[in-house]
Amino acid sequence: MKKNVLIPTDFTIESLNVVKFLLQNRPNDCRYNIILLHGAQAPDTITELLFFSKSKMLASLSNRSFEEACGVIKNKYASGIASMRTDLFSGYTQAAFNNYLLANRIEEIYIPNSYHLHAKNPKSIDLLPFITKCKQPVNKIEWKTEALLPEKGSLAEIFYNGVVAN
Amino acid sequence: MKSTLMNTQSKIAFMLIMAFLAIIMLFSGWIYFAIPSFLHDYYYDVLEIRAMAAGQMELDKNEGELNGLRAVFSEKLMHEEDLFFKLEQDMDLRTLADSLELPISFFQTIIKEGRARHQEKRLFYVGITYASKQGNYIVVSRAQDHFEEGFIAYLKKTLVAAIIIAFSVSLFIAVYYSRYIFKPLRDITEKAQQISSENLHLRLDSRNNNDEMDELIKTFNDMLDRIETAFETQNNFISNASHELRTPLTAIIGEADVALSKERTIDEYIESIRIMLEEAEKLDAKTNALLFLAQTGFNGKIQQFTRLRIDQLIWDVKSTIEKLNPKSNIRVDMSLLPEDPTKLKVTGNEQLLHLALTNIIGNACKYSNNQLVNVSLGASDDNVVIVIKDNGIGIPTSELKHIYDPFFRASNTKNYEGYGIGLPLTRNIIKMHHGKITVSSLLGSGTTVQIKIPTTNQISV
Repeated sequence: MKKNVLIPTDFTIESLNVVKFLLQNRPNDCRYNIILLHGAQAPDTITELLFFSKSKMLASLSNRSFEEACGVIKNKYASGIASMRTDLFSGYTQAAFNNYLLANRIEEIYIPNSYHLHAKNPKSIDLLPFITKCKQPVNKIEWKTEALLPEKGSLAEIFYNGVVAN
Repeated sequence: MKSTLMNTQSKIAFMLIMAFLAIIMLFSGWIYFAIPSFLHDYYYDVLEIRAMAAGQMELDKNEGELNGLRAVFSEKLMHEEDLFFKLEQDMDLRTLADSLELPISFFQTIIKEGRARHQEKRLFYVGITYASKQGNYIVVSRAQDHFEEGFIAYLKKTLVAAIIIAFSVSLFIAVYYSRYIFKPLRDITEKAQQISSENLHLRLDSRNNNDEMDELIKTFNDMLDRIETAFETQNNFISNASHELRTPLTAIIGEADVALSKERTIDEYIESIRIMLEEAEKLDAKTNALLFLAQTGFNGKIQQFTRLRIDQLIWDVKSTIEKLNPKSNIRVDMSLLPEDPTKLKVTGNEQLLHLALTNIIGNACKYSNNQLVNVSLGASDDNVVIVIKDNGIGIPTSELKHIYDPFFRASNTKNYEGYGIGLPLTRNIIKMHHGKITVSSLLGSGTTVQIKIPTTNQISV
């Protein structure tokens, strides 16, 4: 059984807790296509639009630790992940978001409950209003945020934050 | 060392100058011989035309062409003279030649080929046969090429000046060039001279342009890495030995002292000897563990790099530490272990990695007073990641940048024994495996050490 899942991300390792939780509690035969979605406005001047590239924008938002943490998760849950990729949503309206969900055949959305997704960049937009208003089932995931960790921001964080693996 | 370097440098400069000089000489020689020979030919041609014109003017009195010929003669050549000899059947060429002090072959060639050229000192002779209305004549024109003489003298001067200028320019280039070539070498020598056993952690600065010098610097730095590792391994052993072996030894000596202080019952002796045996066994286990760590692949053989599994290694390290420090409390967390075990394989020297991890985990136990130490393992696509987290005293943020300096100890470690050797050694070992070690810490609440080692697949690609 395959499932297409959307998870909003802010390219921090802590936000990957949602992915960890989802995969830990998956049914045995379930494989996920995971889209880690970040909202960002497309540029609004002609020259900027001319040189706009989604992959470059994603690369500038992402960082090495985040990518490696994704790699660790992918290796850990190799049998539970069919694909995992980051994507950019740059629409302004609920209809655009619904279309995005339709186009990617998203069946479920997972969002963090108390963790607040950061705006990574002045162009970033908050996806939560769109998510709460859409028709797909939305699951909220709760974990305890520790205020201060020495490894904050580095790859090591993936091993210790929030959801404890069983 | 300095003098041989200078020698090579001046040798290169000398060779360059020689090459430049040879080329300059070749060019100047060519010009010096080619241009006068062209001028000669040209001058002979001029003389020949004048001889022809003289024949027409003097012998045929050709009025019609006289105007045109006047133009030819308007400019008198230096010492010009035209001589006419009637060509007869039985002409005495010998007397003719002698009267003009010319070789007889000159006249013979004139008769045979209709024209001849000859140079006698500074005078040029051209002879032709001319068929005039009064019969056949030999016309001999002679003149001195004043222009060519001046020209050659000027050419000589110019060439000499050009050679001198070119030589000085090439001298400058050769000296500058050889200096430029040897500058990085001199820098390397200078820097390498500063490195001794006191400051083995110094490295040569890489210039990041991937040329031969950079290769040399890299090779040199790699060698220093290995030497430093070997050196520190020994230091590490000594510091560990003095630290770890003293406790059981003190216990044995103390127990023996107490037992011998007065006469005891048999049971008391048995108890004492049992305690001493226990301590001696501990001592034995510790000595073995320390000796195992001290071997570290430098036992006279080439360093063995083999494929090994990190999870295996971590369990081995855990048992070594528990031998050295039975009170340690280590939890190996395999929750993010990849499903595919080949992702955990790295190429490395097992003993060196063992030593590195023992140092890090041992430190975590030591500085957290044997509280729980978490060791987690995971693998991304490129690296195996080992994370060691303790809840110990931490490292002050301002001192984090010094932790890899040999013999540096953070200001809050006064109550702990140690010599500041383990971490630099560990970093060197990780560096030898092309890995990366990152230490992050919060004072008072713990330290996290993250080690990344490239997986075998990554290296082979």
